[in-house]
Amino acid sequence: MAKIIVVTSGKGGVGKTTSAAAIATGLALRGNKTVVIDFDVGLRNLDLIMGCERRVVYDLVNVIQGEAGLNQALIRDKRVDNLHILPASQTRDKDALTQEGVEKVLDTLGKDFDYILCDSPAGIERGAQLAMYFADEAVVVTNPEVSSVRDSDRILGLLSSKTRRAERGEDPIREHLLITRYNPSRVDLGDMLNLEDIREILAIDLLGLIPESEAVLRASNQGVPVTHDADSDAGQAYTDTVARLLGEEVPLRFHEYQKKSLLSRMFGGGRR
Amino acid sequence: MSLKVDRDSMAFTFKGGMLPMTVMELASADPERIREQLAGKLSQSPAFFQHTPVVLNVEKLDEPHLALERICAVCRAHKLLPVAVRGGPDPVKQSAWALGLGWFPPQEASRPRSLESVAPDEPTPAEPEAGQATPPAGGRSGRIYRGTVRSGQQVTAPEGDLVVIGAVNAGAEVLAAGSVHVYGALRGRALAGIHGDLQAGIFCRELHAELLSVAGNYKRLEDIDPRLLGTSVQVRLTDNQLGITTLA
Repeated sequence: MAKIIVVTSGKGGVGKTTSAAAIATGLALRGNKTVVIDFDVGLRNLDLIMGCERRVVYDLVNVIQGEAGLNQALIRDKRVDNLHILPASQTRDKDALTQEGVEKVLDTLGKDFDYILCDSPAGIERGAQLAMYFADEAVVVTNPEVSSVRDSDRILGLLSSKTRRAERGEDPIREHLLITRYNPSRVDLGDMLNLEDIREILAIDLLGLIPESEAVLRASNQGVPVTHDADSDAGQAYTDTVARLLGEEVPLRFHEYQKKSLLSRMFGGGRR
Repeated sequence: MSLKVDRDSMAFTFKGGMLPMTVMELASADPERIREQLAGKLSQSPAFFQHTPVVLNVEKLDEPHLALERICAVCRAHKLLPVAVRGGPDPVKQSAWALGLGWFPPQEASRPRSLESVAPDEPTPAEPEAGQATPPAGGRSGRIYRGTVRSGQQVTAPEGDLVVIGAVNAGAEVLAAGSVHVYGALRGRALAGIHGDLQAGIFCRELHAELLSVAGNYKRLEDIDPRLLGTSVQVRLTDNQLGITTLA
């Protein structure tokens, strides 16, 4: 059976879809058969980030409503062989999703894949609850700001009460903290919450820390998950994150402010 | 023009309060039967009947009209002071108001409201709680909660004390009929003595609370001396004032 991982946050715009795409890519690059599902019905974005928007024919809602088979809706990634995308519908809304339908899709995918990533919509309503309901693990994406931390806290409460594992009294969902858009120099200035404060409030394991990076925006607009940009800080940070998700111990990087040396300032310091 | 409020010139201030109150649950609407029983009680414990304010609970009566005026007269004759009526149909409500008495909704309907009156802004929806709650060993009531109480969650000990082994995060709410103990940071709302226990207190390792309330007397984060923030404190009622003191 596949491991089901939900990427969630409560707050919008913190980097859920970017992270879901980057982690799915990383897992596939490490040889795992991976599928990433866009649960944001009505606000489809994952296909853009994955660069497969021109190849969408059928979507999650079609499959749930029996209008298409799973194999017709799954899109094979162009860059990594064992990575698939199940896009959301842009013309429907979250009411088109049913718990039974989602369960059936996940059960079927679970037979073929090692990892199923569910890219949750923002909020705590139906779409978000369905995305997390069947999860075994959760990646809670948080920005270093108070509102994001509070919303993540709320989501953690829901993960421990409104999911199948919680309702059945099984082992709780493994919760991981992923901090994105971290800017060490602004943390030092006091503009952003620091790593330790976030960890203390949310009280869950830190899976990874992604620095604020131009590479992320560039990757989004090019439709290439940032994990492929192995020279960039964000790409490396996601690779570290995936390694930790697979149980490896990797030291934390990019969380301290590095003053640029004279030489790197003179010669531009390469790509960031 | 200045909007500055001078405390000395204010004629009054409104405060939320929860006072212990005797509720007289009527099983009969017959003033004569009430009179007989009251006379018997008066001889047993005369100290109780010292113009004691009572709320007449008529929920159990199934009568559209009550001889409310006569019942009140019987009470007053026995040095009980009816101040309000709880429950009953609309005519009962109207006649209570006509007699200058207050009217409370029936108990079931009013339970969530009593919370609102203590925590005036933004009542938090109750969420089925996560974590394990076990009654403390040896006691028949009270509750121990292990884990972080997260934003949007509400943990209640309807009887006795509530002990939280963990933090209470911003946007979370912990309530207890007795005292609230938080072995961690208290960043959310803590309400002790929700049924009016004036002896209840709040104790925490690290104070950042959005709201502290003991028996309906509350302080918001803004009202708390900033020097106390982040320290371990106890919160108690002394002379109707919520006092916060550092636990050395």
